Amino acid sequence: MPSAELRFGRGQAPDPAGAAPGGPLPAPRIAPARGHWRSAGRSVGGVVVAIAVWELVSVSGLVTNQAMAGVGETASAIGAHAGTLVTAAGGTLKAWAVGIAIAIAAGVVIGSLVGRSRVAEAFTEGLVRMMRPLPSLALIPVAILVAGLGLTMTAGLVAFTSFWPIFINTRYGVRQVDNLLMDTGRTLGLHGPRLLLKVVMPAAAPLIASGIQVAISLALVVTVSVELVGGTGGLGTLVLQAQQGNAVPMMYAGIIVGGFIGWGLNIGFASLVRRTLPWSNRLESA
Amino acid sequence: MSAAVPSSRTSRPARIRKIGYWGLSWLGLAAAAAAWQLASGMAGSTIFPGFGTTVSRAWQLIDGPELTRDLIPSILRTLAGFAISAVLGITLGLVTGYYRAAREWTSAVFDFLRSLPTPLLIPVALVIFGLGGKMVVAVIVTAAVWPVLINTANATSALEPTLVDTARILGLRGPAFMGRVVLPAVSPQIFAGLRVALSVSLAVMVVSEILGGGSGIGYFIANAQQSFAITDSYAGVIILCLLGWAFDTLFLFVERRLLAWQHGTVGGEPHV
Repeated sequence: MPSAELRFGRGQAPDPAGAAPGGPLPAPRIAPARGHWRSAGRSVGGVVVAIAVWELVSVSGLVTNQAMAGVGETASAIGAHAGTLVTAAGGTLKAWAVGIAIAIAAGVVIGSLVGRSRVAEAFTEGLVRMMRPLPSLALIPVAILVAGLGLTMTAGLVAFTSFWPIFINTRYGVRQVDNLLMDTGRTLGLHGPRLLLKVVMPAAAPLIASGIQVAISLALVVTVSVELVGGTGGLGTLVLQAQQGNAVPMMYAGIIVGGFIGWGLNIGFASLVRRTLPWSNRLESA
Repeated sequence: MSAAVPSSRTSRPARIRKIGYWGLSWLGLAAAAAAWQLASGMAGSTIFPGFGTTVSRAWQLIDGPELTRDLIPSILRTLAGFAISAVLGITLGLVTGYYRAAREWTSAVFDFLRSLPTPLLIPVALVIFGLGGKMVVAVIVTAAVWPVLINTANATSALEPTLVDTARILGLRGPAFMGRVVLPAVSPQIFAGLRVALSVSLAVMVVSEILGGGSGIGYFIANAQQSFAITDSYAGVIILCLLGWAFDTLFLFVERRLLAWQHGTVGGEPHV
């Protein structure tokens, strides 16, 4: 077991139960840089193990090869169809971007206006209760009926779905602002829109950011789902068509590309938040 | 949010304010329904049936054969997927949260897998499990396990060292330690994750059923859309809305019951 071995390496008393928590005691003894390298090494090791397991499962025939492509086949499918994959990913990202942009603009503006008024907040409470658990993916067939297939429908549905987490978090975050901050701002002569912009928004920003973080993943799920159901192009359609055409490596290529897009968007936004909102030390959701 | 337990000691103005809040929130819903009715009246009701028509159709569906054919299977699939995700997520979350090595080894892989838009896995699940319930449950698990796992792991890794050390000194080890010390301590965050997982389960259930459920609400809605039974597909969405709301309300009720012992021990809330 690697953990026990490494704990010895750190010069700590051996723990027979092998379960010493990552408590505060051993932390100062190791240089942070070394810990960082070891942690990164283990993550990479984990990826290597995961890829090995994937290859083993595919070689062993545990899963029918109509549903499982090996690592090599998938990699060569990515290489051979790079152009198709990039086009599909571009289509998905375009619908995603239009939808999320509308959702962020609407969610932040409406959410901060509603959150500042006690009455408006109460008025929207019932709606929020209804919409928070709404399985918006159920709206796909209805949206196809109303708007037909196409970018407008996809982006519209993405915007509608991802509006809610942003709106809910903004409404909550704006209401949560510390009274001390508000009073200080007022004493210093800030009122109305300037108070909102200079005091309320920065204080609510971490919560708004975590709403957007949720919305980013949700929007990608909705985009891909619309593409799967409606066949409007993009990664969802690509994966479904690959499955129907029995092009298993291509199917996995699409899934892997989708995973990298989701991962990149998440990491990108998280680092943007760390850089622009240093006072939100961790993302928490309402 | 406003999850505080209503206590008999609430002062009178506070109670009036609460009732006012509650009344306004229903008024908001009524306004939304009225807006819907008005919009459908203006748009012409062929593709956009009114609120009244839709709700009465939804009631007919709940009262008719669709209940056992579509609604009950969907509920069972959602609950099965949710239950599997809960067990899996809590177990893996405790392990990866508690052992730093386990956390470091799995972090990159888990980060990738949880960012993957799950509906992309539906075609794979279709090949492995075929049409029907098993496929739906499998896809639900791939999506709903992550909020539980991440919340459990985050809470476990941030456990109070005093708590851990006290339990160790008192001789708790292994499963007893996990079950009697760690699990109760992190249960609020686990419940927060479970709540998200429940709504994720519902959403993923719908899209998997649309693509290959064989039965269920999602299948019903997609069928209604393809055969231009427009009121039916709206009614299906309304039923899902109510289902989501019912699940969420039930969940909060259970959570309050199970976590009742925590009032007054954490979060600075006074004893009720």
